[in-house]
Amino acid sequence: MKIQQNYTSDINLKIKRRRWMNVGAIYLILLLFSVLFMGPFLFGALSSLKDNPSSWPPTLKTEQLSPKNWLGAYTLARQGGGCGFFGELKSGHEVSFQITYKYPMGIEIVPPQVIVPKRFKGTGRAALELDREFVADFVKIKPIEEINRVSNKDGVLISYKITIVNISQKDFNELPLDLLIPYKVDFLSATLSPNRIERLGRIQSWNNLVSGVIPYIFHNHFRVFNENYSRTTGKRLFMTWIYNSFFITIVKVITTLIFASMAGYALARLKFYGRNYLFILILFSMMIPGQVTFISNYLVLRDGIFGLTKLFGGGSLLNTFTGLIISGLVGASAVFIMKQFFEGLPKEMEESARIDGASTYQIFSKIMLPLAKPALGALTILTFQGVWNEFFWPLVIITSPMDKFTLTIGLLSFKETYASGAFDWGPILAGAIISALPIIILFIVFQRYFVEGVSFSGIKG
Amino acid sequence: MGNRWSSLKEKTAPYVLLSPFLFGFVIFFSYAFIRSLYFSFTDYDLFSLPNWVGITNYINLFKEHLFTRALRNSLTFTIIVTTLQTIFALLLAVVMNQKIRGIKYFRTAYYMPSVTSSIVITLIFMWMFQRKGVINYLLTLLHQYGLTIGVFLALLAGIQFLLVFKEKLRGRPVEYLEPSYIILSIILASIITYVFKDFGIIKPIEAKAVDIFWLNTREKVPFWAGPFAFPRPLGAIMILNIWTTVPTFMILYLAGLQGIPKVLYEAAEVDGAKGWQKFWYITVPQLKDITFLVVTLGLIGTLQMFDQVKIIGTQAPLESTITLAYYVYQSAFPGASAPKVGMASAAAIILAVLTLTVVLIQKVFSGEGRGLRN
Repeated sequence: MKIQQNYTSDINLKIKRRRWMNVGAIYLILLLFSVLFMGPFLFGALSSLKDNPSSWPPTLKTEQLSPKNWLGAYTLARQGGGCGFFGELKSGHEVSFQITYKYPMGIEIVPPQVIVPKRFKGTGRAALELDREFVADFVKIKPIEEINRVSNKDGVLISYKITIVNISQKDFNELPLDLLIPYKVDFLSATLSPNRIERLGRIQSWNNLVSGVIPYIFHNHFRVFNENYSRTTGKRLFMTWIYNSFFITIVKVITTLIFASMAGYALARLKFYGRNYLFILILFSMMIPGQVTFISNYLVLRDGIFGLTKLFGGGSLLNTFTGLIISGLVGASAVFIMKQFFEGLPKEMEESARIDGASTYQIFSKIMLPLAKPALGALTILTFQGVWNEFFWPLVIITSPMDKFTLTIGLLSFKETYASGAFDWGPILAGAIISALPIIILFIVFQRYFVEGVSFSGIKG
Repeated sequence: MGNRWSSLKEKTAPYVLLSPFLFGFVIFFSYAFIRSLYFSFTDYDLFSLPNWVGITNYINLFKEHLFTRALRNSLTFTIIVTTLQTIFALLLAVVMNQKIRGIKYFRTAYYMPSVTSSIVITLIFMWMFQRKGVINYLLTLLHQYGLTIGVFLALLAGIQFLLVFKEKLRGRPVEYLEPSYIILSIILASIITYVFKDFGIIKPIEAKAVDIFWLNTREKVPFWAGPFAFPRPLGAIMILNIWTTVPTFMILYLAGLQGIPKVLYEAAEVDGAKGWQKFWYITVPQLKDITFLVVTLGLIGTLQMFDQVKIIGTQAPLESTITLAYYVYQSAFPGASAPKVGMASAAAIILAVLTLTVVLIQKVFSGEGRGLRN
């Protein structure tokens, strides 16, 4: 009897253990897949912090994420007169900086040569569009001090202190620096890690010593905002594009919600001539690519919708938000979703309201719309995503000026802005990540609606 | 009087409710579609008045090298991407269809590629597909540690087989892919591989960095496929496209999976069906409607692939990435030369007809499938 009992408990234990192992295996597989799906984003986001996102071999190590550098950036920015998180080089302030080199045996000990370079910000077109004063003309470099020297069997480790003073009456927001050392001397460490090491280790180069912590970490992201400005109005382009995208998206979401529920309700519940034909036509239109209709639509907008805009004193609708919005007030698929939803609702309430003498409009606004909340939620998210990510149609009708662009088209222009020979991937990746953020946040908050929306528009079709 | 007014209001209600939608639908779809059809029979160039030229445009299209290239690329792209994404989406959905803690967070993670815009994803992928990019680096690692990975996988398979075989000898019902044993095998195989490596029995190969041109190349892959080979840049776009669309279709399949009655599986288990048999004989047929939907949406989506081609732009030779949708755009707005709206419209109509035909064919096929099964 006892043996029997032992045996069952043994089996139970085994089953339990196996169950846990099974769960573990499933988690392992799920984790692998998340790396596959999230990996490119996360690695892209991480690399957008780096000075050179295309360094070989690609690595997870990012100088911008090391606390030692945060501390360095903070102290340097404080010395320059900034608050630490954001930096400055104020008039009369002095920035001092420590750096350690290793001089191998037999190499003459020469202190590094300190240069404050005159450097254009950015590459490609971004560099050409900035003309400004150079901080180099307004600072004084104090004589370099040796503060520590340790000898060991392979060489001498020497720490230097470098001090730079702003002797002008002006405030600057940057202080670039180059240090030149003799060949074969090794750079070991510094208050702030250099942004680049060039010429086989002979030059250590910093973009901005006094950037402050936040611009130091997100320096590519700041570049995206600062280096793109309109040649006609002087406005910051990237911010304008974000604003444009939000504006167009919000307007189109509102028009879609209103007009799609109106049309969806009519198609689902009201009787009128040609209802079935219209529905078939809607299905047909959902299969036709935008490339089939865009030439005519382009011409219609160019001529101001058959000249109608002339009545209101307008002209061509190309390169206008009005044109972009009016051509996409409500999509056929949104109407389709709402129609499917309304058809699934019970008819009793509507019928009793009708017996009580309610009109179609009253039934629609007082009874049907409140019931449609879940579908409207899903439709909001789907439309937001669709409009925010829209690429083809804005590309066709918005060509200039650049401050009319939406984010997607603006990002495409980065390919020219940041290409001189090779791509400057830092700001391109940073721009891409920033423009994906709103949709990712929206997705995480309203996940349920996203998933519902997809299954809704799909399953019932 | 009041009655007549309200009855008029009732009669016009449907049209009033529909009017904002119809305004856009008539102007920007119906009229545009008919006008495209008309333009395709003319020599319109955006500036002078169109002249009727009959079917000349359609004939000229097939004489043009770039168009046939685009047609071929589009068809290859559609067939390969639709097939692979449907299979992957189904498999992923089956894996995801678990009632365990935290599954929601995984779903969120998986769905990420589907919510972000094509421009963001294409830019990130262009960065990864550089010559000195992440993809080539991973391939380099794979090359260097290929032997190690091979030994590990061989050990994994061997140990798993032995463990399961032992259980089978004892007469217990175990499947070859029993997850709990897989975990055990992974642990054992890792330890043995590590020991081998530590003793220097297997070493990483000293290989040069993999240097594949993913975008800027005219090479065709796979090399053994002869006339069926496609340009490698198109292959890169396929990878990125599958990666972005699989999650959406996975959601559709997941919803479908949750609708399959459990009784079916229980009955099959009583009849002694194994895991893959249950998958093949219950899951797949039960999801037939969803599969139809996924394939239809996939066909429509892949046939109009445009964004990636435009975004990659001059980073890849036009011939190796051009699709029908891009051909239409490029003929209508060629930049330097005169717009060929007639040709563009003809190509657009061909694209539309192709989409409708493909969807119809697939409908007929799935309909036939239903008949056979009954």
